[in-house]
Amino acid sequence: MKVMANHPPLTDVVTPSHVLNNVPIHTAEHADSVPAPEGYWHIALPRWGYSFLLEKRALAVNIGLLIALLASCLLYLSLGSVPLAPSAVIPAVLGKGDMMTAFMVQELRLPRLAAACFAGAAFALSGILMQTLARNRLATPGIIGIDNGATAFAVASIVGMSVSIAPPAMALAGATTAAVLTFGLAAGSGTQGYRFIVAGIGVGAVFGAVTQLMLARVAIDTANAAYPWTVGSLNARPGGAVQLLGVGLALGVIAALALARSLTLLRFKDATASGLGLRVKARRLQILMLSVVLTAFAVAVAGPVGMVALIGPEIARSLSSARHVPIMAATLAGALVMLLADLAGRTLLAPIEIPVGIVTAVIGGPWLLWILMRPQRSRP
Amino acid sequence: MKDAVTSLSSAMGSASRRRYAPRTWMLILLTALVAVSVVSLLIGAGEVGPRRVLGLLQGASDSEAQFIVWELRAPRTLIGIVVGIALGVAGALLQAISRNPLAEPGLLGVSAGAAFAVALALVLGASAATLRISVAQLGALIGCVCVLSVARFRGVGNDPVRLVLAGAAFSGLLGSLTSLMLLYDQRAADEIRFWVVGSLAGRRLDDLVAVLPSLLVAAIAVVIMARPLAALALGERAASGLGHHPTLIRWVAVGCVALLVGAATAIAGPIAFVGLVVPFVARAFAGPDIRRTLWFCLPIGPLIVLMADIISRVAVAPSELPLGVLTALCGAPVLIAVVRAKRLPML
Repeated sequence: MKVMANHPPLTDVVTPSHVLNNVPIHTAEHADSVPAPEGYWHIALPRWGYSFLLEKRALAVNIGLLIALLASCLLYLSLGSVPLAPSAVIPAVLGKGDMMTAFMVQELRLPRLAAACFAGAAFALSGILMQTLARNRLATPGIIGIDNGATAFAVASIVGMSVSIAPPAMALAGATTAAVLTFGLAAGSGTQGYRFIVAGIGVGAVFGAVTQLMLARVAIDTANAAYPWTVGSLNARPGGAVQLLGVGLALGVIAALALARSLTLLRFKDATASGLGLRVKARRLQILMLSVVLTAFAVAVAGPVGMVALIGPEIARSLSSARHVPIMAATLAGALVMLLADLAGRTLLAPIEIPVGIVTAVIGGPWLLWILMRPQRSRP
Repeated sequence: MKDAVTSLSSAMGSASRRRYAPRTWMLILLTALVAVSVVSLLIGAGEVGPRRVLGLLQGASDSEAQFIVWELRAPRTLIGIVVGIALGVAGALLQAISRNPLAEPGLLGVSAGAAFAVALALVLGASAATLRISVAQLGALIGCVCVLSVARFRGVGNDPVRLVLAGAAFSGLLGSLTSLMLLYDQRAADEIRFWVVGSLAGRRLDDLVAVLPSLLVAAIAVVIMARPLAALALGERAASGLGHHPTLIRWVAVGCVALLVGAATAIAGPIAFVGLVVPFVARAFAGPDIRRTLWFCLPIGPLIVLMADIISRVAVAPSELPLGVLTALCGAPVLIAVVRAKRLPML
């Protein structure tokens, strides 16, 4: 009996000519003679001798997501234990208006907003990178155990030693360890099948148990301080980690956009990708490293909120066309999801705060089941 | 199918298996179980060490040691034995009916279903002690049926690994919902905080007595079911040709799994991976026959649970580890090993 059902590639089959349309055309004169394909704008910068194709749909999706994100930022800043009028929030952000409001917005809500946005964006970006790399839409860092690895090491740095080694550094070490373990243990079976995923679940279970082990060893106060790490919460943001995440995210987005064409090609078989001029192995390693670093920094801020890495890219893919890997859209959608989830967690059962990790798990669980159960053919 | 199972068992030291008959192995395992039970009485997190317990057994009067051994450690050991048997047998049954070596009550969300049901009942106002068992069993039944029906959906069931993934998603969801309810209702949270992590600490003998009837029912059902299950292993057609009813067998087995897992969860809380490891080891001793596997689950389940429990007492003394942590530490490598096997053994 045949056991493995190969997971189909992430997208429908796209003929290479579509892909080649996406390649920047380097001579402006040449570009003038060729009409832009349908659904694209041809942007030419003759002064720099550079031109490229801009997909109309991608632009619309990104602008739409950005507007939604800004609107929910406003909502996030105004809702809370003390509701504020949106009209009062905007001056407060700029440091004007009522002192109390300004304090609440600038000192309490704005840092948390930044943490939520950055962490969500980083999770979703690393998710879409990992999914594309593994050609498996279930292969998000959270599911294959990387979140748990980062968490275990970060918790070790909090309970074991005083804050001498910053949690982000330890989280990075943990994420790398988990990634090496999962990819190493799944070696031979490839990353496409579900075996890879279950090996990752096993690795994640080990690291989760290690986290519990460390929390059980320490005094109850320290354990309380470390509890948000096990479910994922924006309550305990270590100082400095958010700034580090912001810088890392900015660099990560730039790097991911630079890798965009490689990512698009990586969705094909290795033979096709290398035939189109891609150094598959080197690119894979770069993408993996980028994804691991982003996950680690995000975990250092928010704990294991892995479901965002599943939901964000799914939203982005369902909105975008199948021609590209929707990097920007996934990043924006991740920030949006994280923001709304944390807002819901803060306000729904107030004054009790639901950790954001629980909110995303409640949303993401059915989503994951749906992905598993829906017919294989109809993919966006 | 047969050589797949043999290759599985050869991973567990087939050379030594050839040297002894299964009956001898059974004796060895039973002896080991007795030894571990005695160790479980001797060792603890507190100040009463092996020497004082041995002195007590020789007739010295030591009221503190007497209380700790007979009121705390003896019930705990008994509960460990019962929980181990229940989870191990439930795992073997679930693996037999889904023909999937990865099917495990904890991984598939059956335990999570039971825990969720108990939390829901508490939040809705039930008091913990009386309702817990039947509610947990009902939750386990619903969880079991849910995840197995997902498995029937569009060929997920043909792929053992995919079923585990569905189960992981399902139990993750239920786990989050449970913690959500506990956040919402402080009273319920206080009542089951120590139960929901999965541990044998502080469980009373009354709980054990309360679940005994349902365990007896399950035991009788399993004894009757053993032959039909063995026939089902030959395939659905062969089973009906031999005069059995495959659908009926499956439903009765699902009922048994719900009774067993519900009972174990009601006493000890959700404990993952025991139902995976125990049948895995039992198959290595027993070979492909489900009847023999079930027999071997009887000593192996308690052995594993008791050993994990002893370690959980000693490792971080004077505090204790949740039992689920230790079972996950020893179960996850088994999970990875099964997944990594070149040909995933189909049952």
